[in-house]
Amino acid sequence: MISVFSRKRDIKLRKNILKGVYEDNLRIIGKAPRLIRKRATFSFKKTALLASVLLLALILNGTYLDFPLINENEMAASYSKKAKSNTSEDYSAFLSMLEQKSTYANKESGALSDYKAFLNISQTSLSKLFGLKVKTIMIDPGHGGSFSGAIGKMGTKEKEITLDIARRLQKRLKRNGRFNVVMTRERDSTVTLKERVELAHSEKADLFISIHVNYLPSNPMNIIETYFFGPPSDEKTLRLAEHENEAAQYGLNEFKEIIEKIGNTLKYQESRQLASAIQKNLYLNIKKEDISVRDYGVKRAPFLVLLGVDVPAVLTEVSCLSNTHEEIKLNDPSHRENIAYYIEAGILDYLNKGEAIYEAKRR
Amino acid sequence: MKQKEDNVLYVGIDLGTSRSSVCSGNGKREWIESYVGWPKDFISQKVLGKKVLFGEEALNNRLSLDLCRPLERGVIKEGIEKSEEAVREIIKYLVQSSKPSSEQKIHAVVGVPADTLKTNKLAIRMAVAEFVHSLLVVSEPFAVAYGLDLLNNSMVIDIGAGTIDFCIMHGSIPTEEDQKTILTAGDYIDEQLFSYLNEKYPNSYFNKNMVRKYKEQYSFVGPGKGEIQVEIPVEGKPVMHDITNEVKRACESILPPIIETTTEMIARFDPEFQVKIKNNIVLAGGGSLISGIREYIQNALKEYGQCKVTKVDDPLFAGSDGALKLAQDMPAKYWETL
Repeated sequence: MISVFSRKRDIKLRKNILKGVYEDNLRIIGKAPRLIRKRATFSFKKTALLASVLLLALILNGTYLDFPLINENEMAASYSKKAKSNTSEDYSAFLSMLEQKSTYANKESGALSDYKAFLNISQTSLSKLFGLKVKTIMIDPGHGGSFSGAIGKMGTKEKEITLDIARRLQKRLKRNGRFNVVMTRERDSTVTLKERVELAHSEKADLFISIHVNYLPSNPMNIIETYFFGPPSDEKTLRLAEHENEAAQYGLNEFKEIIEKIGNTLKYQESRQLASAIQKNLYLNIKKEDISVRDYGVKRAPFLVLLGVDVPAVLTEVSCLSNTHEEIKLNDPSHRENIAYYIEAGILDYLNKGEAIYEAKRR
Repeated sequence: MKQKEDNVLYVGIDLGTSRSSVCSGNGKREWIESYVGWPKDFISQKVLGKKVLFGEEALNNRLSLDLCRPLERGVIKEGIEKSEEAVREIIKYLVQSSKPSSEQKIHAVVGVPADTLKTNKLAIRMAVAEFVHSLLVVSEPFAVAYGLDLLNNSMVIDIGAGTIDFCIMHGSIPTEEDQKTILTAGDYIDEQLFSYLNEKYPNSYFNKNMVRKYKEQYSFVGPGKGEIQVEIPVEGKPVMHDITNEVKRACESILPPIIETTTEMIARFDPEFQVKIKNNIVLAGGGSLISGIREYIQNALKEYGQCKVTKVDDPLFAGSDGALKLAQDMPAKYWETL
């Protein structure tokens, strides 16, 4: 009798493990594990249906206004080391820095529109909620033409490195066959930040990935960091943003208009997740080759190119040209290919994690 | 619980850093060294008569080949394009070795080093997908554990060439925390032995291939079974060299990290489970063939309490046997969507 029980237990254990293996592999190929529940019992379907009806009722009755705002604690789970604070406080701080505090305060403290409150439901990603898909990925090689970006001690130019990595990334993503992959520049040409943003609009990009290489004049170390749009967490980030925004060509009026887009929660959530996935893949893989590389994590910063684009957008600083050892490595094509590969892995991780994928809300 | 379909061939593949093997439902078993070589130019291709060479044959003709060991150090890295292509070639070769009939569908489970699974899982899937109809990728030590029915309260230490993978099983699919990888494995022994021999015999010529063969033939830890003498030409004359101490030192160099990692990983568990896991440790991979390694690890771990270490009977096929068992046990409905 005991052996029968033990056998039954063993079979159950084995079934669970097999299911685990299966779900794990589904995640790798970007399918949601829930697909296996297709043959779920009627009662389960009924429960799911009931839950959907309840959710709809909540929304229609306006009860959703009691839901918490975006959960900033999720940010703490990422690599970022910034202090915890809620979203609206951070935004206010940023806007006061730009002397536009009052405008923003009116928008946020005034009647929160139903639509905005709905956007603030924290339990699920909105792209997942709406079953959105990514069709077009835009890659933005930083600088170019008369803007060389950082220049290493041996003369390596940031604009050349970013273009090469972007080309490799484009090739890799195209091979995937699922996306239309476009670049903001295909050669060494000057493209202003405004033009880059307009390109993202005209190409109807769903994701925007800007590639840059860092330069730390007073420190020889190699760091990796990834940004999405938001108020900066420190002074250094603000200086970096000033540097990366040098080719902006935006008028003050236009700038006011685009700053209002800050309320786009959908973009905020998705950009943060995309930045985390790219940073994680870059750092963990590069650390295997270079133990001294430092993880500066996912950060928020007011890069104009990230603000202007409506869709999830990140700016990744993939390496550090001020580090001579890193400069030598960046001149090796296989290292650049690796970087492209890790960014690709980050993008695919982000897309797979979301289960249902994202097609951005376009204006 | 086996669900068999007549027109399906189940295949288990162990894609290792040093050796890869395949076991299939029709009884075919095959292994190769995980080397792939492409002729360097038109002349080499004409001389070799093949577009691509594998394993021992590739190693023997390495001077006329672009040689690639795709999973060196446990991940697809340097010159990525070439490594991915090499993985594809190895898989193609292994799948063909299982000799499926033309109307058979192939359902494969592929075991890969734990680090590869973490960083290159999609690349591995893409490389394999074109040769099979349905595919699952798992970590090597997990495949070994599944094959040996070590599903609960056990630990597999897979001592490979590029990596040593540790995997604790506790009744569910192991998470990333249950698996750990260190790089001081078989290749590290080669490097150590190479430097010790060059230090001791500066006038003799050793190459890395010779050193690897010495390791495979004579490796041991703990008290040895006598002197190890090898014949190497010095200025044209064959001279006998005593390499006993060098082999012992090189092989023992991987032991401290193994002991440290094992105790660290076990210590994460509840004391009650720690005892169970410590009494169910299994060594797998080519490194488990090092003479005396089981006894050495068991004695070293006894400092931390009673423990029992065993090793797999057939390290070359333990991974692919486990992968095949997984493939055969996997319900048919799961294969449909993969």
